[in-house]
Amino acid sequence: MKILKILPLIFLTLACAPGDKDGGQVDDVFPYTIHQKALPNGLNVVTVPYESPGIASFYIIVRAGSREEVEQGKTGFAHFFEHMMFRGTDKYPTDVYNEALKSIGAAANANTWLDRTVYHMTGNAEMLDKMFEMEADRFQKLNYSVHDFKTEAGAVKGEYTKNYASPMMQLNEKTVDVAFENHTYKHTTMGFWDDVVDMPNQYEYSLQFFDRFYRPEYSTILVVGDVTPDLVNSLSEKYFGDWERGSYVPEIPVEPEQTETRFAHIQNANFPPYISLNYKAPAFDPDNKESASLSVISQILFSQKSELYKKLVIEERKCRYLGGGAMFTRDPYLFSIRASLHKPEDLQAVKNEITKSIQDLIDNGVDPKVLSDTKSHVKYDFATGLDSSTSIAQVLSYSIWATGDPEAFGRFYKLIETISVEDLQAAAKKYFIPEHLTISTISPEEEGGVL
Amino acid sequence: MRTLKIAFLFVLSGFFLNQTTAHDLVELQKSTSNKVVIKYMFNVGSMMDPEGKEGLSMLTASLISDGGSAQYTKSEINDLLYPMAASYNASVDKEVTVFTFEVHRDFIDSFYEIAKGLLYTPAFDENDFDRIKSNQQNYVDQIIKASSDEEYSKMALEDLLFRGTSYQHMIMGTSSGVNGITLDDAREFYKKYYTKDNLLIGIAGNYSEEFKKKLLLDKEQLPALQFTLPEAPEISMPDGLQVEIIEKENALGSAIYAGYPLDLTRADDDFAALMVANSWLGEHRKSYGQLYEKIRRLRSMNYGDYTYIEWYENGGRVQLPLAHVPRHSNYFSLWIRPVQIGIQLKAQYEELGSIEVGHAPFALRLAIREIDMLAKNGISNEDFELTRQFLRSYIKLFVQTTEKELGFLMDSHFYGRENYIAELDQLLANLTVEDVNEAARKYFQGENMYVCIVTDDSETEALADNLLENKPSPMSYSNLVREGLSEDILKEDEEVAGYKLNVKSVDVINSQDTFK
Repeated sequence: MKILKILPLIFLTLACAPGDKDGGQVDDVFPYTIHQKALPNGLNVVTVPYESPGIASFYIIVRAGSREEVEQGKTGFAHFFEHMMFRGTDKYPTDVYNEALKSIGAAANANTWLDRTVYHMTGNAEMLDKMFEMEADRFQKLNYSVHDFKTEAGAVKGEYTKNYASPMMQLNEKTVDVAFENHTYKHTTMGFWDDVVDMPNQYEYSLQFFDRFYRPEYSTILVVGDVTPDLVNSLSEKYFGDWERGSYVPEIPVEPEQTETRFAHIQNANFPPYISLNYKAPAFDPDNKESASLSVISQILFSQKSELYKKLVIEERKCRYLGGGAMFTRDPYLFSIRASLHKPEDLQAVKNEITKSIQDLIDNGVDPKVLSDTKSHVKYDFATGLDSSTSIAQVLSYSIWATGDPEAFGRFYKLIETISVEDLQAAAKKYFIPEHLTISTISPEEEGGVL
Repeated sequence: MRTLKIAFLFVLSGFFLNQTTAHDLVELQKSTSNKVVIKYMFNVGSMMDPEGKEGLSMLTASLISDGGSAQYTKSEINDLLYPMAASYNASVDKEVTVFTFEVHRDFIDSFYEIAKGLLYTPAFDENDFDRIKSNQQNYVDQIIKASSDEEYSKMALEDLLFRGTSYQHMIMGTSSGVNGITLDDAREFYKKYYTKDNLLIGIAGNYSEEFKKKLLLDKEQLPALQFTLPEAPEISMPDGLQVEIIEKENALGSAIYAGYPLDLTRADDDFAALMVANSWLGEHRKSYGQLYEKIRRLRSMNYGDYTYIEWYENGGRVQLPLAHVPRHSNYFSLWIRPVQIGIQLKAQYEELGSIEVGHAPFALRLAIREIDMLAKNGISNEDFELTRQFLRSYIKLFVQTTEKELGFLMDSHFYGRENYIAELDQLLANLTVEDVNEAARKYFQGENMYVCIVTDDSETEALADNLLENKPSPMSYSNLVREGLSEDILKEDEEVAGYKLNVKSVDVINSQDTFK
């Protein structure tokens, strides 16, 4: 292992070329150096050298997801388009692309979510040039036939079919539909079924979609592993330097303020009773104490360590499971507290216990030791999770799609260390209010029946 | 890239040197790691569940991983571990149970005291037992049947394939089995099987020699082995295609799993050859398998189609294989992800108003035909070289983290190997296309197979009739897809539609009657 220890030092020295923006080490929260270089066309290139002998993770993050699906009848399109990205170019028709991908020996795939679409491959670092060449080709010169377009819609239906066998997925679809009125978070990334069925008829729109979003200003290239920033930057310039900037900016509808509790329910007698309390939460902001406070609250009130978990899961055994938190989203989304129950008649009692624990935090704060233990938990959880090029790339890509900045999570975890009991109380008081709540349930009854 | 190449080779050789194995310890020192991983692998699994107590090995392991110790209750442990963000879990399979403990090196000593307590002096508390048993019961009774039809069909296939043997029931057990388990059963099970001679310890990451010694010394507090490990069941090849259709209300599609016994495991050198053939046919979650190409890409019938030459844990969620599912009794399997059912196709497309059945029979015929063709024709030298190149790089991704590397090393011992991944790479390097095609001829066939299909109750009758009567099953495309299909595809469709399956029996059972 001696050789490798020396190599990263050499790479670091080489890496500091003029014009690069090198983030320093973020103390012990994120221990690896993040190198960034913005190309003239607006494409940001991020490199993190990491000791993963012979392996590199190559990610392209496109900040377009179901959030960008602003037009009527086009829900699920960002995800569908992700499928189309595997339907070939003139240079790499699908079968040639697949052969080339196979030769890289990579674990490669893509996925779409609310705020982004991510394309990733982890494989032989020696094949990095090939990875760049292939990805640059399809990101700039995608060219599929009308027939391929129509055919691919069947696979999306297949995906919907497998996913929505689950009552939890059905409830999630219903919850966001109820919780949001105007904002595109109203539909899931998979889209409404009717829109999915209509996808084969949207070929012309798909060309427009590609033209709008598959542009350098929407994208970030991220490479983590056995690589140097010099190499990654030069490959980026070589293959993505001529990628033309676009001009489209979607108008994401603004969600009006919710003024009363809403309800979503699924009747199912063959599934354990379930409740989730979904409060409107702020957009993720790595520099805002409210985001940090809500993250801390999710641990203190709803993790396995919480008093509520001890009471409802371990002691009284009203719940099989309890958890809660907010996802880091670009626009205000939901802070969801979820519980799976033994008996449907306990749904109301469990809801009351959850709101009581929130009120208790607002009224009485928390034990300072619990707060300091939580900060320790968050820090070590983050640190021990960064143990492969893939896991580091996943964390950084999240930071990139949520904020546009790979260093944001590092700052966010530093900010958490500064949170006080008063910060927690203020955030809880502001966000956990019944007017902003959607109560979702699964039970054998026709109605949810929880107030 | 020249420097990198050399470094890569160097590091690999360093990697192999850094890993040592004593008789009862697998070690993987990583001086730059910020954490320590400890694993305890017992040769005990669901195949040791007593009759009428199916699910006992799982419940016993969960009492350790989700219960208290003699010193601390579960809630106290949660409190103590919280600032460390330490994690631990139990993985139970047919033949082994593995406990994995992971912690930042800052906390290794205090964490180990808690871990040791859980493993060597578990509380077996009545309240923990009731809580854990209830969840396990719920999984068997409801969750598995109502959450993912494809996972359901996978479990149902094992139930059919291993019927009447110790491998039949799910790891989580059966409904009556879990119901019949008492706390005393778990205590007795622990006492009998959690012995020091039945245990392999693994340690990886950044730890000291003293700590390692302590690990080995502490193990001595377990009793000595007093039982004989049972043999994994030997199952015979089914006679023809034995189909079981599980019908349920409101299923959105037909989820298919099929398989037959395979007399081959990682212990055999032939495994590498068959792995190449299998990867070409249906590599897990990859777009370049033959089945994926024909069923999903060209015809867009579902989300993906894959084949396996050993158990693949949690395939619906993971892209790379997990450790700790080593088995002596092995089988080949075919996974066809949910395809459309008749009523859905009719509702979506007017032109399909008169179809008798959805896509399941066509998909099954197509897949079995491909398996038959592979056995008969083999693969080309070009495909062999490309698939081997892929695998030699891809298998290294199985062990990207310290925890996974240690896990695969420990599994290697189960198969009598030192380092499966490294040895597999060598075996792959030595292969010829003839080896691969010989293995495909020997092990792949579509004549005899168990088939499980979870589907909607509206689809059952037509599906059963189609398969039992071996009726042609023409592919039912919507007009908008049909109009762009090439002649080649339409011609192949005709051949597939009439491809005779060797169906010998079709049973229909209600979802309520499974896993009882």
